[in-house]
Amino acid sequence: MLDAKLKKEFRTNGRVTLALDASFTVRRGITVLFGPSGAGKTTILRAIAGIVVPDEGRIELGERVYFDSETGTNIPIQHRRIGFVFQDYLLFPHLTALQNVAYAIRSATHKGRRDRAIELLDLLGIVHVADRHPHQLSGGEQQRVALARAFGADPAILLLDEPLSALDATTRLRLLEEIVDLQRKSKIPFLYVTHSPADAVRAGDNALILSAGRIVQEGKPAEVFNAPRNSAAARAVGSENILAGRVQDHHEREGTSVIDLSGCELVIPYSALPKNTPVTVGIRSDDIIISRERIGQTSARNLFEGTIKHALPDGPGVDLLTSCGVDLKVRVTAQAFEALDLKPGVKVYVLIKASSCHLLP
Amino acid sequence: MIWPAFKLSLLVVSLATLLVGAVGTALGFVLAKRQFRAKELCDALLTLPMVLPPTVTGYYLILLLGRRGFLGRYLYALTGWTLAFTWEGAVVAASVMALPIMVKSARAALESVDARYEIVSFSLGKGELETFFRVTLPLAFRGLMAGVVLSFARALGEFGATLMLAGNIPGKTQTMPLAIFEAFISGEDRQAQALALILTFTSIVTIYITNVLTRRPTSA
Repeated sequence: MLDAKLKKEFRTNGRVTLALDASFTVRRGITVLFGPSGAGKTTILRAIAGIVVPDEGRIELGERVYFDSETGTNIPIQHRRIGFVFQDYLLFPHLTALQNVAYAIRSATHKGRRDRAIELLDLLGIVHVADRHPHQLSGGEQQRVALARAFGADPAILLLDEPLSALDATTRLRLLEEIVDLQRKSKIPFLYVTHSPADAVRAGDNALILSAGRIVQEGKPAEVFNAPRNSAAARAVGSENILAGRVQDHHEREGTSVIDLSGCELVIPYSALPKNTPVTVGIRSDDIIISRERIGQTSARNLFEGTIKHALPDGPGVDLLTSCGVDLKVRVTAQAFEALDLKPGVKVYVLIKASSCHLLP
Repeated sequence: MIWPAFKLSLLVVSLATLLVGAVGTALGFVLAKRQFRAKELCDALLTLPMVLPPTVTGYYLILLLGRRGFLGRYLYALTGWTLAFTWEGAVVAASVMALPIMVKSARAALESVDARYEIVSFSLGKGELETFFRVTLPLAFRGLMAGVVLSFARALGEFGATLMLAGNIPGKTQTMPLAIFEAFISGEDRQAQALALILTFTSIVTIYITNVLTRRPTSA
């Protein structure tokens, strides 16, 4: 478990460009650090790794204090046991895949390093590329080698800085699953920076939403993305609801498929995916209709009963957080908000057209 | 006159190149990777021998290292030995003249290495020294070798500063360029020609071999 509390101001020509002031805990599992670019995500990773020195604060992993501005503690990066995985892999270009991994391994003998490196490459399913140089590997293979290398040094925490954003959609999904799998096997905490809400919901056990240097919300990813608690968080996560589920059924003739969201069933446009495939569905908050009465005859394929948890006025509209089996954020105009008297606790009906639900890549 | 000069040049240039390669890489590393206030001033001072006439540099070297020089007097008092008019003096002169080129090349080569490779190495628990020799140096190798070749060339052609510090003693401190000059002014054209050809040939062979050794692997 990592506890961090850090403050740092960045200035350009005397003007403060980013005032980082964040305290958070990285618990077991995968913690997603999400936020718009410039919010300070990478800076936080760099502070944990010891590349950036905070102005003030304290960072500790378990019993070990990495940094404490009060006692002047600042453990150098070499001694922090931190795995760092970058978007552009950064494999040493003069070494083969095997040599890259072996470089990280602390073993007295050449054979010891080699055996462990092979074992790690095998764990990631890329032992067949062991003797290739980085420029002979695909992006997905390079990132797997980078992961194997990070594990070679037996880290106490793994920091991933947008590890998938340079990869194509298919490779991304596969590798994301492998990363989740790797975390379960290794049992060390992962801190995963991403700007993809879908990846955050798919992989995260926890999510931290960062906006302008501050953590504006933390919690389960599905909750954080679909039920932001304040307008800063709502702006940071964007207007889309992100729902994780599985394909339950197909109605090919009607042109629809049914997704089980464990809480409710969602009808979406027909998709040829096999049953039980895990999927992520996106629904924009302004594509959802709220009604105070049950509407009988409607073209909307999804009709849920729910209650309003809270309402966040933002600009000309209001973001309503509704609970109807799953959390959904719904954007309405201020006028509708007034006219329907949509106070927290009020019972509502939520209508979503099947065509407003789209599968996220 | 030809072979002693050739052998001396080879010795002087080899030692100077080794010295300059190591010292220049170290200085280039400090300039490329460390932040300190007087950095650009240091760079300017190290570049000075490239800008000044070699005779001026040689003159300063005498002031510094000659028998009565700022440092040379202590050396003389301690050992009874002085750099002036020795072949070691020729090594020092050639090194000082070649150093700026090496520092410039090394700084550029090391600056071009993405610092994040070093961060990765540190995060894997490796120290500064291991990171330098196993990551930074191999990644900057081609640029550093280019610097070494240019330093070699500069040391081989060194004339003015060598003349000032080491003099022109045949068989003792007379390097090829000095021998060519002496042969030419004393009207021994054939000897000058032979020396010039040997010098040219040696240079071509050295540069060719270095290029082959540091060629980028063709498979991309």
